[in-house]
Amino acid sequence: MEPISLTGTVLLLPLASALVIMLFHGLLKNVAHLVSTGVSIIMFGCALIFLGAEDQPNGLLLYEYLKVGTFTADIGFVVDTQSRGMLFIVTFIGMLVHIYSLGYMKDDDARARYFGALSLFMFSMNGIVLADNLVMMFIFWELVGVSSYLLIGHWFKKPEAADAAKKAFLTNRVGDFGFMAGILILFGLTGHVSIAQLQGSMESGALNHIRDNYEWIITLAGLGLFLGAMGKSAQAPLHVWLPDAMEGPTPVSALIHAATMVAAGVYMLVRVYFIIGASHVTGDIIAWIGGITALMAALMATQQSDIKKILAYSTLSQLGYMVMAVGLGGPKEGMFHLYTHAFFKAMLFLGSGAVIYACHHEQNIWKMGGLYKKMPVTFWTFAIGTAALMGVPLMAGFWSKEGILAVAYPEHGHGNGILFGMAVLTATLTAFYMTRLVVVAFFGKARGKDADHAHEAPLVMILPLVVLAFPSVLAGYHFLAEPLQALVPNHHEGAGAKVVMGCSLVAVIVGFLAATRLYRNADKDPVNIPLFANKFYIDEFYAGLVKYGQDRFAWLVTALERIFVDGLTVRLPAALASGLGSWMRGLQSGSLQAYTFVLGLGIVVVVYLAVFFSTKP
Amino acid sequence: MSPLSLELGLGLLGLVLLLVESFASVPRKLIAYAAIGGLLAALAVIVSGAAGSVPDSLKEFYVVDPLALFYKGFAIIATLATIILSLEYAPIIHQFVATHPERTKEAGLGEFYSLPLFVCVGMMVMASAVDLITIFVALELVTVSFYVLVAFMRRSAASLEAGVKYLILGALSTGLLVYGMSWLYGMTGELSLSGVAYKLAHWEGNSAPILFAVGLMLAGLAFKVGAVPFHIWIPDVYQGAPTPVTAFLSVGSKAAGFVVLTRIVGTFLTPGSVVAGPVIQILLILGGATILLGNLAAIAQTNFKRLLGYSSIAHAGYLLVALACIHTGGLKMTSGEVAAFYLATYLPMTFVCFLILSAMRAKGYGEDIASLKGLGRANPTLGLALAIALASLAGLPLTAGFMGKFFVIFATVLEGYYTYLAIAVIGAATGFFYYFKVILAVYSKPDGPSEGPTPDLGLLSKVSLAVFVAAILVVGVYPDLIRFALVK
Amino acid sequence: MLENYLPVLMQMLMAAGFAGVTLLASVLAGKSAKRNKMKDSAYECGMLPLGEAQPRFSVKFYIVAMLFVLFDIEVVFMYPWAVIFKDYVAVFGAAIFWWMLSFVGILLVAFLYAWRKKALDWSS
Repeated sequence: MEPISLTGTVLLLPLASALVIMLFHGLLKNVAHLVSTGVSIIMFGCALIFLGAEDQPNGLLLYEYLKVGTFTADIGFVVDTQSRGMLFIVTFIGMLVHIYSLGYMKDDDARARYFGALSLFMFSMNGIVLADNLVMMFIFWELVGVSSYLLIGHWFKKPEAADAAKKAFLTNRVGDFGFMAGILILFGLTGHVSIAQLQGSMESGALNHIRDNYEWIITLAGLGLFLGAMGKSAQAPLHVWLPDAMEGPTPVSALIHAATMVAAGVYMLVRVYFIIGASHVTGDIIAWIGGITALMAALMATQQSDIKKILAYSTLSQLGYMVMAVGLGGPKEGMFHLYTHAFFKAMLFLGSGAVIYACHHEQNIWKMGGLYKKMPVTFWTFAIGTAALMGVPLMAGFWSKEGILAVAYPEHGHGNGILFGMAVLTATLTAFYMTRLVVVAFFGKARGKDADHAHEAPLVMILPLVVLAFPSVLAGYHFLAEPLQALVPNHHEGAGAKVVMGCSLVAVIVGFLAATRLYRNADKDPVNIPLFANKFYIDEFYAGLVKYGQDRFAWLVTALERIFVDGLTVRLPAALASGLGSWMRGLQSGSLQAYTFVLGLGIVVVVYLAVFFSTKP
Repeated sequence: MSPLSLELGLGLLGLVLLLVESFASVPRKLIAYAAIGGLLAALAVIVSGAAGSVPDSLKEFYVVDPLALFYKGFAIIATLATIILSLEYAPIIHQFVATHPERTKEAGLGEFYSLPLFVCVGMMVMASAVDLITIFVALELVTVSFYVLVAFMRRSAASLEAGVKYLILGALSTGLLVYGMSWLYGMTGELSLSGVAYKLAHWEGNSAPILFAVGLMLAGLAFKVGAVPFHIWIPDVYQGAPTPVTAFLSVGSKAAGFVVLTRIVGTFLTPGSVVAGPVIQILLILGGATILLGNLAAIAQTNFKRLLGYSSIAHAGYLLVALACIHTGGLKMTSGEVAAFYLATYLPMTFVCFLILSAMRAKGYGEDIASLKGLGRANPTLGLALAIALASLAGLPLTAGFMGKFFVIFATVLEGYYTYLAIAVIGAATGFFYYFKVILAVYSKPDGPSEGPTPDLGLLSKVSLAVFVAAILVVGVYPDLIRFALVK
Repeated sequence: MLENYLPVLMQMLMAAGFAGVTLLASVLAGKSAKRNKMKDSAYECGMLPLGEAQPRFSVKFYIVAMLFVLFDIEVVFMYPWAVIFKDYVAVFGAAIFWWMLSFVGILLVAFLYAWRKKALDWSS
């Protein structure tokens, strides 16, 4: 198949599926899940063929949406290593999550709605991956937000779920504002929104004048785009929505809030790396925010007791890693970690889903325990995922984490000692909390009735776990990564490489030993750090800020509204309008005499304007 | 095949149908179907591009350019829609025309189906006319036919009143136009627009008489398109006239006015013209005032038909502003083409509203906005169609109406008329308010125990409704559909 | 130059003369007739000159008047045609005749229509 028809299929098929399911919701109640899953399998097939597609430096144009003057907004596709690899990940995990959901959502009343939203998500995510210009990316960026909103709030009757959906949506608006501002600045500077053309004008030196004299504009554009990425990829301080988003169904958490959508921010940053790289300030800010997010989220994760929350904070932490890598001048390292992380984190989430399913929707790890015997497959896959995430040597996560640490190492061009330290500390903490999770949930004795009666999940849910176990181990090796079009970073040589390797190994061992010692046979958490458990009180801080600020702000707004909105812009025009209206009603008396009079007056005015009032407008 | 023969053919068809109506006692519906068939054939000729050119000897009076062909097609589609609407509205017409409506079935309907053909011929000639006399004769053919159509329901006081008002004010405005034309002829000695343009570009001496002529002509045409303050006849006439005629007036008559305005303004604004400044000035002031007054006055309306009347005034304002923005190179369209595009988007959404209004009226429901309550529930398809049309009238993105407004607003930006940009935006914002009030009514609970209105539509109406709604949505995402027809 | 306007002067003189002669004749011939109130009124026959300010006329008057104007205008168009006929018949041949005939034909349709609609039937 031609690349254009492949990409067109990948983009439009899930849209069709979503539309059909949503329009004929009632009719398709019992087949919607099959439609959606079938579509996801076809998409995966297309993505596999697409892996062999040739690079298209100028993109493929599907449809010219808007063209006014120099401004063009097209629906066009970019075909390069990055988009091929990302499309593979998205469709692969998407397909597995669809299959998994067949089991997980079997008894849900609104299964059709769920699968419709899942298809919508696949459509939007594919759009982001394939977008060859920023406007198209922004449109799909928003669509992803909408489908995420729908899926987080799938159980909208639960107030927490509804609130979480709203929170995710609103927090992302802050980021989107930045994204849009960034796009507008870039358009203003270059007159392009297409990524290839932007890169062209950046590299051809057309902007040298601006870069030399007004570097802050480019910095501002880069930061605007980064703000968008911060919203989607949940970087501090916009990270607050991601843990709450765990109220959504677990397969959704695996697909959207671990493997694909939250990675879109990183993906976008790598796409526009030429802008970030153009300004040191942007890179530094990005690196620091990534580093802080990584460390802070890891600290929070050590004190959570909800199995999904732990994984959510772990996701935050790993996203911070990727963002830091991009900021430090290692977009390839960031993308590579994204690639390996997607597999094992999706598997961990799906595994946690199996546990939750088995324990009758019990999510507290302190009420689990001893599950390794009852759910052997889940346990072994979960253990592999944990090992990969911790960075145990020879697992997928080891290679990509290694790459990021190497970028942060001071010997590297942009490296930074403090960030390197933070990264190593994060790695230690990662090993610690993941070991804690496995030890508490799977070993020891059952601490709850539900855990006691747990049994292995059905085959459709086990199958994706097993399938994902393979790339979790192997994805870091060139023989698999290269054909799958992952962006594999160059191997770092030199004296630093040994230090990095050593630090990374020590981190894993220290974290693992500390957690095993502390948590073996523990019935309740022996460590209690309220600051971490309460997520640094950031939510409370925001709530207080909102509440404190809100009262004053509300007062101000009320005053302003009374005067300006209510008075000047509503009452006054309303009064004017009704005044004019009644004046016109007076004219509009129905009397022909009056009409003729008005007409005559109009003629006088127009003739006057024509003859005597002939200044140029 | 010369396009002139299309007009002659349609005119002949109209005459034949009149004779058939008066001599034979065929079912009146057949007359309507014959008219529809003729129009469809003409449309096919235009769309297929089989309409060729005219002999050189006619070039001074009659041109065939893309704009002319576009407006010819536009006239045919508007006429088709009007006749389909009339079929829907026939019971009401019959009730107010026949001496004994309970005894006869179709008395007085024949002319109602054949008169629009004459209007169509007039509009088609007008689209090509580039000579003052040709323009005038074509305009009169349209206007006189409309006098009859507006007052058609002779047993309805409202229709008669509307007819008298339209006749007297229309005659006044025609007088103005001709007076202006005679001054122009007197000063330049030219009747063809190209001749006038040449004279205007090389004018020496006092320009006041020319400006006087220009003012009079613009005033006369402003009446035809319903620009403030010459809009004064519109609400009463629109409300009183039979609904299909109202629709025809607000689309057909308006388009006719604008095609003439496009040609004449194009002549006045020819490079180097002495009258360019004042003409732009007048267009902008009239346009701005029209946008503001049309939108503001629409807010207070409770009658849907009257509301559409004010809405049509407001839309005329945008069209006038569009005509004033002549440096639209960035849009790859001329100002006339921007206006034509706007009209083309205006046609489907207006006809959807009027189609539903006609069907409602034919089933005995009122024309108030309140009587639409519950339509969305009782008949979801019609409710949705109406909601889409109204959203498009308001200019919601992804509808045709948005694209029309977008180009006009873009044109003001290119031209740097920021005052009028602000006015256009304010007008659009106001529009959202009153159009969505109607949408709200469509989707709110009906008063009392009733289930909401359940109008019936004939097959033709259903088809045209579907086509129009599809057009609104398709043009909303693919404006080039119309742009390609315009800009060859 | 002024002699060009001689026919106009003649026309005016004839009109004034006709009116004057008529009045003079009626004075001379009618002096001896009997006089009464009726005979001294402005019009001996027809409608009373006194009455409401806006009397209602039957719509038939208007219809007839309109038809009259319509067909009158037809002739107005035929006049200039007749004037240039001689020059143009040499250029266009018989076509010029058919053009006018088509115009008359259109009006004929109107006439037939008016006839069928009983617009000319005073009594109905």
